[in-house]
Amino acid sequence: MTTALRDFIKNPTPAELELVARYGAQPEDSRRERAFLAFAETGLPHRRMEAWKWTDFKAALKALETPAAASAKDPLPHEGALVFRFTPNGFEAPVNMPEGIRMVEQPGMQAFPGAENVPLGALAAALSGGGKRPATLIFEITSGNLPRLHFVFSGSGQASFARIVFLIRSGASLNLSESYLGGAGLTSTVLEFDLEQDTAINRAIFQRGGADEALAVTGIAHLGANAEMTQTTLSFGAKVARMETRVVHQATGAKLNLNAAYLSGRGFHTDITTNVRHGAPSCVTRQLTKGAVLDGGTGVFQGKFFVPRKTGQHTDADMQHQALLLEDGAQVFAKPELEIYADDVECAHGNTCGALDDAQMFYLRQRGIPENQARAMLTEAFIAEALGKADDSVREVLLAEAQNWLSS
Amino acid sequence: MRPMLKITDLSAAVGEDSEAKTILNGLSLDVPAGEVHAIMGPNGAGKSTLSYVLTGRSGYEVTGGSATLNGENVLDMDPETRAAKGMFLSFQYPVEIPGVPVMTFVRTAMNAQRKARGEDEISAPDFIKKSRDVAKTLNLDAEMLKRPVNVGFSGGEKKRLEIYQMMMLEPKFLILDETDSGLDIDALKTVADGVNAMRDPSRGMLVITHYQRLLDYIKPDKVHVLAKGRIIKTGEADLALRLEKEGYDGVLGEAA
Amino acid sequence: MDCCGGTTEHEDDCGEVKVKDSIDAKTVEAAKALESENYSAGFSTTIETDFAPKGLSEDTIRYISAAKNEPEWLLEWRLKAYERWLTMEEPSWAMVRYPKIDYQGYYYYAAPKAGAKYASIDDVPKEILETYEKLGIPLREAEVLLGVEGAVETAAEGREKPRVAVDAVFDSVSVATTFRKELQKAGVIFMSISEAVHEYPDLVKKYLGTVVPQSDNFFATLNSAVFSDGTFVYIPKGVRCPMELSTYFRMNAENTGQFERTLIIADEAAYVSYLEGCTAPMRDENQLHAAVVELVALEDAEIKYSTVQNWWPGDEDGKGGIFNFVTKRGDCRGDRSKISWTQVETGSAVTWKYPSCILRGDDSVGEFYSIAVTNGRQQADTGTKMIHLGKRTKSRIISKGISAGKSDNTYRGLVSVNRKAVNARNFTQCDSLLIGDKCGAHTIPYVENRCASAQLEHEATTTKLSEDQLFYARQRGIAEEDAVALLVNGFVRDVLQHLPMEFAVEAQSLLKVSLEGSVG
Ligand SMILES: Nc1ncnc2c1ncn2[C@@H]1O[C@H](COP(=O)(O)OP(=O)(O)OP(=O)(O)O)[C@@H](O)[C@H]1O
Ligand SMILES: [Mg+2]
Repeated sequence: MTTALRDFIKNPTPAELELVARYGAQPEDSRRERAFLAFAETGLPHRRMEAWKWTDFKAALKALETPAAASAKDPLPHEGALVFRFTPNGFEAPVNMPEGIRMVEQPGMQAFPGAENVPLGALAAALSGGGKRPATLIFEITSGNLPRLHFVFSGSGQASFARIVFLIRSGASLNLSESYLGGAGLTSTVLEFDLEQDTAINRAIFQRGGADEALAVTGIAHLGANAEMTQTTLSFGAKVARMETRVVHQATGAKLNLNAAYLSGRGFHTDITTNVRHGAPSCVTRQLTKGAVLDGGTGVFQGKFFVPRKTGQHTDADMQHQALLLEDGAQVFAKPELEIYADDVECAHGNTCGALDDAQMFYLRQRGIPENQARAMLTEAFIAEALGKADDSVREVLLAEAQNWLSS
Repeated sequence: MRPMLKITDLSAAVGEDSEAKTILNGLSLDVPAGEVHAIMGPNGAGKSTLSYVLTGRSGYEVTGGSATLNGENVLDMDPETRAAKGMFLSFQYPVEIPGVPVMTFVRTAMNAQRKARGEDEISAPDFIKKSRDVAKTLNLDAEMLKRPVNVGFSGGEKKRLEIYQMMMLEPKFLILDETDSGLDIDALKTVADGVNAMRDPSRGMLVITHYQRLLDYIKPDKVHVLAKGRIIKTGEADLALRLEKEGYDGVLGEAA
Repeated sequence: MDCCGGTTEHEDDCGEVKVKDSIDAKTVEAAKALESENYSAGFSTTIETDFAPKGLSEDTIRYISAAKNEPEWLLEWRLKAYERWLTMEEPSWAMVRYPKIDYQGYYYYAAPKAGAKYASIDDVPKEILETYEKLGIPLREAEVLLGVEGAVETAAEGREKPRVAVDAVFDSVSVATTFRKELQKAGVIFMSISEAVHEYPDLVKKYLGTVVPQSDNFFATLNSAVFSDGTFVYIPKGVRCPMELSTYFRMNAENTGQFERTLIIADEAAYVSYLEGCTAPMRDENQLHAAVVELVALEDAEIKYSTVQNWWPGDEDGKGGIFNFVTKRGDCRGDRSKISWTQVETGSAVTWKYPSCILRGDDSVGEFYSIAVTNGRQQADTGTKMIHLGKRTKSRIISKGISAGKSDNTYRGLVSVNRKAVNARNFTQCDSLLIGDKCGAHTIPYVENRCASAQLEHEATTTKLSEDQLFYARQRGIAEEDAVALLVNGFVRDVLQHLPMEFAVEAQSLLKVSLEGSVG
């Protein structure tokens, strides 16, 4: 088996060989095999794959190594939250779980449909588990009145994988936050959300890693009737970081707010990729992604709305991406895509890329604000717009983190 | 006595070298402290251009002449330096600043100006109190001041917000570029009251307008007609009335 | 955009069309539209034709080269391209699906038997002239007789309309070039590329393949190997070409591929406006069209290139029609040069086409204005690439896609800004209009910005015809079909404005024909 896989990946890199070995060490399981094959089909995703043309994991991650830098400090508040920790080899959960939440640490793997669309998600599903870590961690949420669930992914090591599934039952709601703090050479997590009707989730993602790490966070959500998902990402990137979200509107009246801010400094690469399928009539998507990039940094935005013929009628969807190249030497790549087969729809996207607006700069300076301060103010406000829908309990912290980065 | 604002033979152009277009063409104008001067003139005459050149917006090239405020040449200064010296422009088209609440914006501006002048920052309670007082005079909803600057504001609301900022920042020299357009009848009165409250022997004002209406409330000391990039006629307050009756053609025909 | 894989999710389009209300009901008929009768250019001409041996091989290429009595260097150039082509794979990333092309099933060269060029237009076979007349091309109009002494000038004086010089390509060869004399006086070279190879070998050698290299892409390489004929234009320094230049391409012979090659050079401070029009008769077999167009604009030069393309799109079941795989690229080589592409695409079964600009010179300007209409089973994947290399380069993209019937219409574009392209500007506007609920409209822009002082802006919308507007127009007494035409015309207005006058009128009526039936 293992040797067969070795042949399967063309010209495998040391990192890929190590991943194959890790797979070999997992218990045999046909679901696991299917997920791993979905990854092995291409190996680590690379620039010759359309969905990865600007984010090349194969080139960035030659070998699996433990990075020199330790994990970043978690800025998101732990008080009042149920905190779960993942490290490369461990998992910790609160001892007591309140009413309305059921956690199952599944040792075996759950089926992972759609693996071929998300090679790094498939890898996470195939390699999660082992040691003290569950192969699949499942949460069933039945209350609308729970404290925030906070997940921390940190700790040093070669690689860290996790798979978490949330089932949000009718009428329930969830406030979720995740901190990806780096420390592992490769971190890949996949989170799946199944929202039944009349449910809500507010998800916040904070990501900050080292310049020698690779990271992929894959989120897959299915929204039931009138379900509402709000997601806010603040990502500082890594050597390569891919924050990917795929959402399917499955029943009438679902609503999605999909926001992200990326801030890439020298040597950092941040990729925000989203795919939204309007698989049911009268669903709404509002998407706003903002980016600011410094000399030597890279920002990538790939967004796609897919509106099928029969089911996508009365779709109302808007996608905006706006990037600031703050210095010479910064680069931003964007692909905001619409694929539409239904006629009675309102779909729009916009993309701007460049420096701050001259008219705004002048207005501030006319009121007496010096140029540097005016620039900082506008940049902060620019980024803050994408963070405004985060839950009260984390929003200020996200804003402060963005501000600190911008003013340093 | 030396006038507060002295513009001498000012020429300015817009556009890049190859297709530069001269808009101001030897414009001269004096506004002494304590006076209010109105500028009227046909569309496209260069009124807004004058206000931008005086306040230092980029994209305008001064090709000749000078402009001084209290004897200092302003044309070489940064926009913010001019603002700290007391120049305030109420924009014909106020700019939207998404994500920056009005209060934050004005407080930042106020403190930056104070700092530039070597003054102390305003304390938060003082600022809030002042803001509340000004908002009250202008009949502004406090909620509006929490929203981002001008974003989603109606045309009239934007103009009122310009006056709010003016009253907060207490500038020395005011340029109002068509602040009256888009205002309803009550708002026009409120805004005019605000401006009149700012009248002071140490302040000068340039009021750009198309309508006598505003000048009924804000009595100008002088009325200038700006056409084709220069002041071609200057008169007393009654000139505005004549313009309204006879139109530019009537009045200018005789000037030419 | 060397992208691959693109589409994995396809919509099946089985089942009856949903009829929601009266408007859509008519709209839907539209979908059934595009009945063969609507294609007024769908007649074929019976003339005797010389073919190269069917299929593609080194021999075919030698045959073509010999038939055209080409110099050795050009034969070598072709053979090199052919060798390269053999190693290449047909691209699959575009959002178009079509049966596998059998490259051995086509004739790569077809020429009317009487020979290519005619001394006088009276020598042009009557059938060909009639063909062009039916198409409304002013070959003979105004007694402009090619090679007939004096006729050009007198005819020219007698005309009031702006004049258009025409080069007509019938299958593989250029059959007539009008106004040649007068153009010569201005120093303008306007002739078929086969002639230019003999008469101006240095110019051809200097520029051929410098904008679209031989190995650029599968179809361009194929073209380099087998190109049959096309147009050559050279505007000398400081000359403003005194009239619009125009080429009409006509595909007639069965199972024929058409591989024309156009090369236009505007020397320093020169200006030319060039119009390209295309038609093909109705035939069941899909005909292959793989053209290459190269534009070179030197310092301060400007080239305006307009295309109205109404190749046979196939019948309503998707049978027949032209496969159009075209590589068009302009090189703004000199400072302050400008290249502007305007296209109205209503035809072809499959379109794969991205007229592009390389903005190399400082302050150079690239523009792309496009209207793409698809109906029936047509598939269009079209757009542009703007490559900003020089300082302060500007580009502007306005694309209007209209999908009706069971068609798919994709805008695919790239705006790329090099690190050195300081203060570059791009504005892109892509609007899609869906008429009926069995078609698709897709927008795939790629933006690559490596320059902090560049400002790029992209806006896109996808909507259906507004019922409010339709009602408003009808309330004022405008018939539904006219109201739709009115609205569609409004929708594409920004682009139509950029077409030369005569072309705009033609394009407008073409739009109406293309959407006929789809609007009641
Ligand atoms: N950036 C620019 N590029 C080209 N022309 C400009 C530019 N800015 C201003 N102009 C032109 O300069 C002239 C003067 O404009 P300006 O805005 O100063 O007029 P105005 O007197 O304020 O008119 P209004 O009464 O309509 O506000 C107009 O013709 C205008 O079109
Ligand atoms: Mg004005």
